[in-house]
Amino acid sequence: MSTLPAGTKTRIEFDDAPVRQFMIASIVWGIVGMLVGVLIATQLGVWQANFKTSFLTFGRLRPLHTNAVIFAFVGNMMFAGVYYSTQRLVKARTASKLLSTIHFWGWQLIIVAAAITLPLGLTRGKEYAELIWPINIAVAVIWVIFAINFFWTLARRNEPSLYVAIWFYIATIITVAMLYIVNHLSIPTSWTHSYPIFGGVQDALVQWWYGHNAVAFFLTTPILGIMYYFLPKAAERPVYSYRLSIIHFWSLVFIYIWAGPHHLLNTSLPVWLQRLGVIFSLMLWAPSWGGMLNGLLTLRGAWNKLSTEPVLKFFAAAVTFYGMATFEGPLLSIRSVNALSHYSDWTIAHVHGGALGWNGFMAAGMFYWLAPRLWKRPLHSQSAANMHFWLGTVGILIYMASMYVSGITQGLMLGATKDGGTVLAYPNFIEAVTSTKMLMHVRALGGLMYLVGFCMLAWNIWKTASGAEAVNGSIEVYVEEKPVSMGIVGGFLNAPVIYTTLLMIFVSGWAALPRLGSAFCIVAILATCMAMSMNIEFSKKGWNHWYERLLDNALPFTALTTAAAFIGGLVQIIPTVMVNTGNSVEGVRQIPYTPLELAGRDIYVREGCYNCHSQQIRTLVGDVLRYGDYSKIGESIYDHPFQWGSKRTGPDLAREGGKYPSSWHYFHMGDPRQISPGSTMPDYPWLFTDKTDTAALPSKISVQRRIGVPYEPMTDAEIQQRCDTQAATIASELKTAGAEVPPDREIVALISYLQKLGKSEKVTPVGPAKTAAN
Amino acid sequence: MFHRILVEDWQRGLSILSITLFFSVFIIHLLRVRRMSAKSVARLENLPLANDDHE
Repeated sequence: MSTLPAGTKTRIEFDDAPVRQFMIASIVWGIVGMLVGVLIATQLGVWQANFKTSFLTFGRLRPLHTNAVIFAFVGNMMFAGVYYSTQRLVKARTASKLLSTIHFWGWQLIIVAAAITLPLGLTRGKEYAELIWPINIAVAVIWVIFAINFFWTLARRNEPSLYVAIWFYIATIITVAMLYIVNHLSIPTSWTHSYPIFGGVQDALVQWWYGHNAVAFFLTTPILGIMYYFLPKAAERPVYSYRLSIIHFWSLVFIYIWAGPHHLLNTSLPVWLQRLGVIFSLMLWAPSWGGMLNGLLTLRGAWNKLSTEPVLKFFAAAVTFYGMATFEGPLLSIRSVNALSHYSDWTIAHVHGGALGWNGFMAAGMFYWLAPRLWKRPLHSQSAANMHFWLGTVGILIYMASMYVSGITQGLMLGATKDGGTVLAYPNFIEAVTSTKMLMHVRALGGLMYLVGFCMLAWNIWKTASGAEAVNGSIEVYVEEKPVSMGIVGGFLNAPVIYTTLLMIFVSGWAALPRLGSAFCIVAILATCMAMSMNIEFSKKGWNHWYERLLDNALPFTALTTAAAFIGGLVQIIPTVMVNTGNSVEGVRQIPYTPLELAGRDIYVREGCYNCHSQQIRTLVGDVLRYGDYSKIGESIYDHPFQWGSKRTGPDLAREGGKYPSSWHYFHMGDPRQISPGSTMPDYPWLFTDKTDTAALPSKISVQRRIGVPYEPMTDAEIQQRCDTQAATIASELKTAGAEVPPDREIVALISYLQKLGKSEKVTPVGPAKTAAN
Repeated sequence: MFHRILVEDWQRGLSILSITLFFSVFIIHLLRVRRMSAKSVARLENLPLANDDHE
């Protein structure tokens, strides 16, 4: 709280320079991210757009697109919104100009580093977590600097209560830090390479716990905070229901963190986790729509302004897209729907509805609202802003419609069977690719329209700001009395929290324990309810005041939010991490890669093959008929990182080993269309000229050993000798088939890896052999 | 065909715990929100509408 005495009147000048900086950065990086998006969308229909150049292939550029849009475009937009609204909501200037400056430039340096390293193929091979470990550390440091500045500002505030937008920012800061750190735990093998400490199913679970909650806590909660501040401002009326916003916040924070496993339905993830993911995903419908309706109803009485105010147009459309995306998300989490939609373009339609509609339009609305205020000059062109809105809206609709048609076509074709479900109706994967090729062009057109609209925004903001004076807002405040501090202990040791905890324990016990324990828990539940009723009756003030005091005390509030997010993560991840991989391999265990195969795998990861090829045969008839028996946990336990993928632009590769001769892969990597007419896969000519990096293998194998892969002891010379021997065998095999290549080339290592995929040994499960029906 | 060999019994309890946890928190907040004073709600919901000299 402010250091000034209570009752003092003072004038505060806000620090709006970081708001301007982050806004401009968001616009610039937004254009870059969308431009790369249009390019990779084009590549899916026109393979020549890969330009036969390593750093412009789809596999390397797609991570650049996703990282640029998430962390550069939305990240910078989020920081602009947080810095602007927080100062005004807590009536205090941002605590440290220095920290704001470090935050801004640090974040931009991270983005530049990402833009350089990703096209170079320096990647961790996990979606939205591709950045290499030195950049990961930089992200964590800059995030902590942001957090310090934010909480320091809260500590100096002149407004005792914390508005709901601030809660959403607190949840974002805490949860993103936790998710990011856990999913990026790795052991370096060099300055640019590392292996994640989790492998196989564990890595899959941790990755999608992170991936799903990156959507939740990076792309949703901060933007909801921005919605709760900027929408009432633009509509000039308070939020429709403040009470609903409280329910919205707590429900969202508690539910979101559990829903990650819905990205792994019908896979070898344990069934209890899949069910948990489905249930919590379905429960997300309620709070999401509560928030969406709260946003739309805030416009009550202001709908007439939509015809003239572009800001409100963008906000109304953004909230509508939020409603659509959050309706569709749980729908896609239903296992039977997911069986059709997963690995197809349907998911792509879904995420772009959220990213372009919700995030992109909230950003546009906020920028159009902010620019005239930050530069004290009316928006240069209202009609250009309106034109942007319509171009963007039509662009999104074209994009999404094409992806829905494409996704459902892919899902239906690839899962279709005939003759009583014993034979695939479309046995050749390429049929699904060629059937949807035209839709890829339509998709690129939709994306291009959206990009053109966004360029109009950049021009409009530029014209508004150029020649105008940048000004900081200021406000006169009365310093109010400090609220009574609760402290962390006070936040937890009080009747509401204690009774809730007791009830939770007893209800769980009633449901989970055997007869006697269950009966005891029923009695305990009744006793606790009676005691709680009496406590409420006799100390009404205490119960009422606890929550209101909590809203005035950032520290215990933050601790409770952290606990909410933390518990969900622990309950899902710890049991999976603790699973003894030797006992839970479902009868088969992966054979560790030879040194050459490991080098080949690193090339596979470097080229971003996981962006188009999965390595997970689901427990679905179509998958099993097409690729072989469904994938078991044991088949990928030594995969650091896991490569199950999330999209099948090309076929699954889980059992690729031995399916074709090595020469097939040789010619296919050189010119995919020579082997598979109609393919949109890029050519990889550099694999035939670049030499395999075998010098790095001793360090890599040493790290693999440390993270649990059972490599036998090998000297550096033995590693090299094993590489040479295996490479010579493959090169000789290739030569016999008319494909001559020196054995030290990357294509040989990659072929060795591809030929190993799906190779495992049979093992007998140890321990109690209980069967859980799927 | 589609069986899982993992021993999951104790993990099943975690599903129950997680749903119980959510509903406990949900109900307590629902009750609390119903009891919030109208004055307090009005004060909080108007916080973003305070204008600075930008507006």
